[in-house]
Amino acid sequence: MKQKTDVLQGTLALMVLKTLDVLGPLHGYGIARRIEQISGDLLAVNQGTLYPVLLRLELEGAIASEWGASENNRRARFYRLTREGRKQLQVERKDWEQTAAIIGRFFEVKTEDLS
Amino acid sequence: MKSLRRFLNRLFNSAARRAQEERLREEIAEHLALQTEENLRAGLSAVEARRQAMLKFGGVEAMKQDYRAERGLLFIENLLGDLRNAVRSISRMPGLAAVIILSLAIGIGVNTTILSWIQLILLEPLPGVPGASNFLLVEPHTDTGGYPGASWLEYRALQTQLLALRDVVASEMVPFNVGEKGQTERTHGQLVSGNYFSALGLKPAIGRFIRPEEAERPGTEPVIVISYDYWQARFRGAPGVVGQKLPVNERELIVIGVAPKEFQGTMLPLKFELWVPATMAPALLGGTRDLEDRSIRAFSLIGMLRSDATREEAQTEFSTAMAQLARDYPEANAGVGGEIISFWKAPRGPQRMLIGGLAVLQGVMLLLLFAVCGNTANLMLARGSTRQHEMAVRVALGAGRWRIVSLVLSENMLLALLGAGLGVAMAVWGTTALRVAPLIGAFPIQFQTKVDGLTLAFAILLGVACGLIFSAAPAVHLARLDPQDALRGSSNTPPRSRARKVLMGVEVGLAMVVLIAAALFLQSFRSARQIDPRFKPEGVLLASYDLSGRNPDEKSEREFAARLLARLRSLPDVEAAAIATNVPLDLHGIPARPFTVQGRVRTEPGQDRAITNTVTPGYFKVMGIPLLEGNDFAGIEDKAAPAQAIVNEEFVRRYLNGAEAVGRRIQTRAGSFAIIGVARKAVYNAFDEPAQPAVYFSYRDLPAMQGEIHLRTSSNEAALTSEARAALRDVDPMLPLYDVRTFSQHIERNLYLRRIPARMFVVLGPLLLGLAAIGIYAVVSYAVARRTKEIGLRLAFGATSRRVVLQIIRENLSVIIWGTAIGWVLALVICVRAITKGVVDVLVFIGVPAILLSVATLACWIPARRASRIDPMAALRRE
Repeated sequence: MKQKTDVLQGTLALMVLKTLDVLGPLHGYGIARRIEQISGDLLAVNQGTLYPVLLRLELEGAIASEWGASENNRRARFYRLTREGRKQLQVERKDWEQTAAIIGRFFEVKTEDLS
Repeated sequence: MKSLRRFLNRLFNSAARRAQEERLREEIAEHLALQTEENLRAGLSAVEARRQAMLKFGGVEAMKQDYRAERGLLFIENLLGDLRNAVRSISRMPGLAAVIILSLAIGIGVNTTILSWIQLILLEPLPGVPGASNFLLVEPHTDTGGYPGASWLEYRALQTQLLALRDVVASEMVPFNVGEKGQTERTHGQLVSGNYFSALGLKPAIGRFIRPEEAERPGTEPVIVISYDYWQARFRGAPGVVGQKLPVNERELIVIGVAPKEFQGTMLPLKFELWVPATMAPALLGGTRDLEDRSIRAFSLIGMLRSDATREEAQTEFSTAMAQLARDYPEANAGVGGEIISFWKAPRGPQRMLIGGLAVLQGVMLLLLFAVCGNTANLMLARGSTRQHEMAVRVALGAGRWRIVSLVLSENMLLALLGAGLGVAMAVWGTTALRVAPLIGAFPIQFQTKVDGLTLAFAILLGVACGLIFSAAPAVHLARLDPQDALRGSSNTPPRSRARKVLMGVEVGLAMVVLIAAALFLQSFRSARQIDPRFKPEGVLLASYDLSGRNPDEKSEREFAARLLARLRSLPDVEAAAIATNVPLDLHGIPARPFTVQGRVRTEPGQDRAITNTVTPGYFKVMGIPLLEGNDFAGIEDKAAPAQAIVNEEFVRRYLNGAEAVGRRIQTRAGSFAIIGVARKAVYNAFDEPAQPAVYFSYRDLPAMQGEIHLRTSSNEAALTSEARAALRDVDPMLPLYDVRTFSQHIERNLYLRRIPARMFVVLGPLLLGLAAIGIYAVVSYAVARRTKEIGLRLAFGATSRRVVLQIIRENLSVIIWGTAIGWVLALVICVRAITKGVVDVLVFIGVPAILLSVATLACWIPARRASRIDPMAALRRE
């Protein structure tokens, strides 16, 4: 149970970084919408979980935030990627691709390959 | 780096908490607004759009919790929050909290006090000396099992041969007569080797210490170091004391320095005031041969183990050295080996006896504390149950199990630590009380107990342990709570009172053990006073004199005693007067000496021993001990009569099988004596001792330097004091009369060490009983409260209230009886095995359970009766 949330949290952070990388500064709702659009129903249940992740990323210095005006001219908090965040994204992307490749290779291995 | 930055940010965030909360709130609101608009655009109704948005967002509180966890140092924040909560909830139950804190404080305080005593004996045997626990006693040890001390020449040899020990130091305790003619005061001091102060690592308060070269050649350096207390008392702490002259044993010594504040010499618990180079012995003690004669073993040796040496090495070196000395000087050293001994096992002094007693006491008191914990756990459990609703709300709102546990824990920890704090305060008071307790006997005694880092840590540790122990049950109970059940708010949940009942049983059992221990202790203490000592202490005044400063010979000792007695007997109020070397029931005990008696052949190995006392004629009259056969001793100045002895009836029974004793000869190391009489047996060392064989010798045959004057009067014995002083002054104006006390005071004083724990138990026994009663009361009234409906139902169906009461009492009492029985058996086993060795005090073993059970029954009865009085209709309607 717990492990699954951990994985989710980790991937969520990566998704947030990538979203901000592609779309530029966005508010929380915008990020949630974007991730929802791309990931299907992964975040459909608890959009709220996004906010602790945003806070953590901000504390780590990967993103920064400031107040701005939303589409309907209300005050909203806008998040943007920092230089450090961009670096982190690159590193994590590489890590992720590596991990994915390794896992992928494991799934491809068939019994006869080992004999 | 990343985690450090995060930590610092968090720290900052913890501070800026409110602003952050506000920001999150605003973000959530904005998020929901945007989502709602989106949903409206998708064609949902306003209400439905809002509802869907919130559903999609998920649990706001849980998210906020996560957010907070991310944002700040949750642990510290929670702790502070818990602490606030704990303070609030404790202040809501002042009565209960007071009971808990006070009982814990007493338990912890008593334990801490006892530990400080143990610490004093084990770890700090030399107050004021840094690293005193590294010092060891270097004791010559005879084949016959005695520890005679070391001679000066022996010490000088050992000093160079014991390489495993850093600096061996020698000291001899000496009573000095300090002051001008006619107003001398007896003051205790030590004759010390030149390295004494440097080896102990002491720094003088002012002035300097004795230098090694000042203890090389006999009689050349008339210098003296005084104790801090003596400096304060006699010189009012004046710095000009250094260089002043102090008349000691009719010689003038120059004060060169003052010892540091806490230093009281090297023979715990004796307190010394003066230190003089050992080489001054012949000058101060009338030409004594202490420094030349190998058979005068007057010195005690101690040494600090080198950091790179082991105790075994020191022991081997010591044995080798002593064997060499035995070869070189057979007449003085044959049959004398050596033993390296820890301070607390010292062959002289009360350490060994104390440490055993203290260990037992500490054990009992830890049990007491354990019982207090059990009681507290029960109270908290009962209280916790009334808080089920509160906890259920917390769980329902998303508090994790650990949050609940930590909530309960912090509350209990706060209680426990408050108790520990108060306990430390009590321990400080207790140790100071013992410290200032005046124990002016023949020897001045001081115990410098104190609460320091170690005892403080012990108290806090006890507090934390207690907190954990009595938190465990309620915490587990509350954390396992099913919020749904609890929130439904009914008492439908099956009463989970097993834990409480078990705890109640355990607590009562522990209380039983402690109460029996307390009762046994008090009983032995009380009976000690009630036992007939078989002599008459009423109307007897005791006082001491000491001629050791004069180094007198036997003739002058005899003459002195004769003159003094003649003078005392001429006093109008004195009915009888005598001098003896020992007083019964003395803290230090009367020596037992080996002997052989005509007509007895010992078959088993070892030697026959009997208590010995040397007395003048008239002693038996003063003491009120009748002579069963024969006559009193010949007069002191009678030169014709042969050496005489009087034995007691136990001596005759044990060693002569009741045969005629008068006329036989008895042989000791001091010579051969003719038995001329048999005295009735009496009490010698302790009220409850088994009958002891004793031999009295005549002062005429074995005169001594020290004497205990015994005066019997028909009027008030205390009023004789000034007359006795005047009498001694008439005989010798330079000699102080010291340790003047009535025989009753003498006895009281020597019961002192037993009186401290006895008083402790007088307070703790009833307290524990009260606590047990409160504990039982709490459990029963809680159980009854939960069963209101059931009881109402039964009453409605026609059960009499008597029956209800009886049933409730029976249910609870069965648990209590189990606990009591187990505790009783435990106490019995411990008592028979370890303490009284087979003798069982029936009164205690029946009386204590009877009292405990009746108190327990009462504690059950009160809530049961209240329950049986409820109106059945009201009880049933309440649900």
